[in-house]
Amino acid sequence: MIEFHLDRRSGVATYLQLVHQVKQALRLGTLRPGDRLPTAREVVEALAINPNTVLKAYRELEREGLVEGRPGLGTFVQRSLGGVRLADQAALRRELDEWVRRARRAGLDRDDMETLFSLAMTDAYRGGAAGEETA
Amino acid sequence: MTAALTVTGLSVRHRRGWALRDCSLSVPAGRVAALVGPNGAGKTTLLHTVTGLLTPHGGTVTVAGDVAFMAQDKPLYDTFTIAETLTFGRRLNPRWDGAYAAGRLAELGIEPERKIKELSGGQQAQVALTLALARRPGLLVLDEPLANLDPLARHDVMRALMGEVAERGTTVLISSHVVADLHDTCDWLVVLNGGRVQVSGDIDDLLAGHLMLSGPDELRPPAGAQVIEESRTGRQVRLLVRGAQVLDPRWNVRQADLDELVLAYLRSPEASALPRLSEVGA
Amino acid sequence: MIWLTWRQHRAQILVTGGLLAALGLLLLGSAVEARLYVAGHAPPGCPGRAAACWDLALALSERYDAVYTLFGWMPLMAPALVGVFWGAPLLGREYERGTQKLAWTQAVSVRRWMLVKLGVLGGLVSAGGLLLSAMVALWRPVLQREDWFGNIGVFNMVGVAPAAWWLYAFAMGVAGGALFRRTLPAMALVVAGIALTMPGLFRLSEHYAEPVRTVQSGSTVLNADDARVVGWAWIAPSGTELPSPPTGVCAHRPDTGRSGRNQEAYERCLFGKGYRYAIYHHPATRFWRFQWTEAAILAVGSVAFAGTAVRRTLRRRV
Repeated sequence: MIEFHLDRRSGVATYLQLVHQVKQALRLGTLRPGDRLPTAREVVEALAINPNTVLKAYRELEREGLVEGRPGLGTFVQRSLGGVRLADQAALRRELDEWVRRARRAGLDRDDMETLFSLAMTDAYRGGAAGEETA
Repeated sequence: MTAALTVTGLSVRHRRGWALRDCSLSVPAGRVAALVGPNGAGKTTLLHTVTGLLTPHGGTVTVAGDVAFMAQDKPLYDTFTIAETLTFGRRLNPRWDGAYAAGRLAELGIEPERKIKELSGGQQAQVALTLALARRPGLLVLDEPLANLDPLARHDVMRALMGEVAERGTTVLISSHVVADLHDTCDWLVVLNGGRVQVSGDIDDLLAGHLMLSGPDELRPPAGAQVIEESRTGRQVRLLVRGAQVLDPRWNVRQADLDELVLAYLRSPEASALPRLSEVGA
Repeated sequence: MIWLTWRQHRAQILVTGGLLAALGLLLLGSAVEARLYVAGHAPPGCPGRAAACWDLALALSERYDAVYTLFGWMPLMAPALVGVFWGAPLLGREYERGTQKLAWTQAVSVRRWMLVKLGVLGGLVSAGGLLLSAMVALWRPVLQREDWFGNIGVFNMVGVAPAAWWLYAFAMGVAGGALFRRTLPAMALVVAGIALTMPGLFRLSEHYAEPVRTVQSGSTVLNADDARVVGWAWIAPSGTELPSPPTGVCAHRPDTGRSGRNQEAYERCLFGKGYRYAIYHHPATRFWRFQWTEAAILAVGSVAFAGTAVRRTLRRRV
């Protein structure tokens, strides 16, 4: 079972925080195929958030094929994340390291780089749902 | 989408002028609607009209099902015991879930033989909320439910409320002058300012429909955009716009958050974001 | 709703019931004691018009001075207390505490809330008034007094008058609560209202019926039990009524002290010269006519106050 938490100052939409936490648990293996996600009521009574937010997060996960809602029973994990993805991450990380080195040589300081990175992220994720354009 | 609450052309006059003027709004069933606005905007007047405590001078209020109301100071009869307070609920409401009410208060550790005046503010709020919820209303109206509560009690009240919405799909209308209180709990927004409805709609749609633009001040607002608020500092201009496609790459674009959106509207009383007339009552 | 009415107003109901019971005991005790006293002292034929009977009644009233004092205040105090403690808080207290926002948003309609409260409490108040009336009616004859009609204080405590007064004060208190939305001003309204209505109605009561005109030639004292005298005048031998006692016909020396000798001599002289004396009065047989007239006036007032309260409550404006 997963226990959700909220970072109210992060600026990240609440339903996205829930989505990320499920994905993280899938990567770490704390959630495995067949596990049941907490019901909307359970999440809502723990976090004091709108039930529709939970349902929206679950719909998003369902759309990505990670979980499956079974009427009357609950929402269950379909597949895990990780393995191949971890290797991808290592490669991406190496590329990012290389980018940071080049930026430093070009005279950018830490703040410049962070501004550039967050601008790129904002552009990439404009319009809400994550993953669509980059997939 | 059926409306749990429809208000059309509502007007209420004070001794000193209009408290509400030609207010129209609707809240779809199953939504948690935030009614926000500065102090004196007419929030309480609107809620009192919706709950029948006030007779409007004009306009209509239509509610699907029973309305339960928790007033701002959470009034209860001081000298009643908890058990008597629940008897009050049972005697005055043909639809009354006594088992639920007793169970919920037992869960909270509030003993039936205690008197209302012996309870803490947070416990009184819980009793008042239980009294409203055990009626199994179609529409639950709460006037500043979090005012005068400590952070723990606020969280408890909101948790109970959200649990109820998840369980029964109750439609809720909550007023507050603190937008931050309603951030994670509400999915529908009504902004009331100076007795008029300025914004009414789904929060996600509203956020998606508004953009915060910043850029050099020689830029013109994008074509077709409704500029809600404009502020200039030095050579930079910041705009909150509605319904625009931003093509000019010199604009730095991001989504507005709820506080920014509400504040922008409140600072520009002439701007409004309302559904078209045909959508009201849809 | 009836449960709620009892729960919210049981203090008033119990205290009023307790006070009536205490008064009942007091009256019963004094009645038993008075009966024993009368058995020991009463000349035969009392109560009656004999001077001995009058002396007995006087002795009794001295004996029960404390009870009489209480009795004297009761016609004014009892309705005022009812209005202050039953009527004024009914709406005033709800508005003060904001609990009307709780009570009037339940499934029970405001109209029903009002009607049950007014009906149940108004009924109890009227019943309390009738109980007082019954107790006084049983007690008064024991003290050798038959002054139901002539004595306005007693008149207001027998028959249907107490019930009407209590109901009137209650309705006025409720209306005050609806108008001021506070208990204290509503209480003040009741006290002022009763203090004005009571003498007002007393004055008006002269006109409930056309007074009977009795013309006497020999005495200025009306020869009728328990009548309410409302006016008098001398009649000249010619038959015309004089606006003031005739002057220059007989010598009229002022009396000194408590003696009425000079006055009596003056009157005897006038009667001797053919003058007669007219007394306008309402005879005791009009008791019920006056009771119902007064009750009807108070009932109209009660309905007006209750109507104001209901209207203000049902059509609520900012």
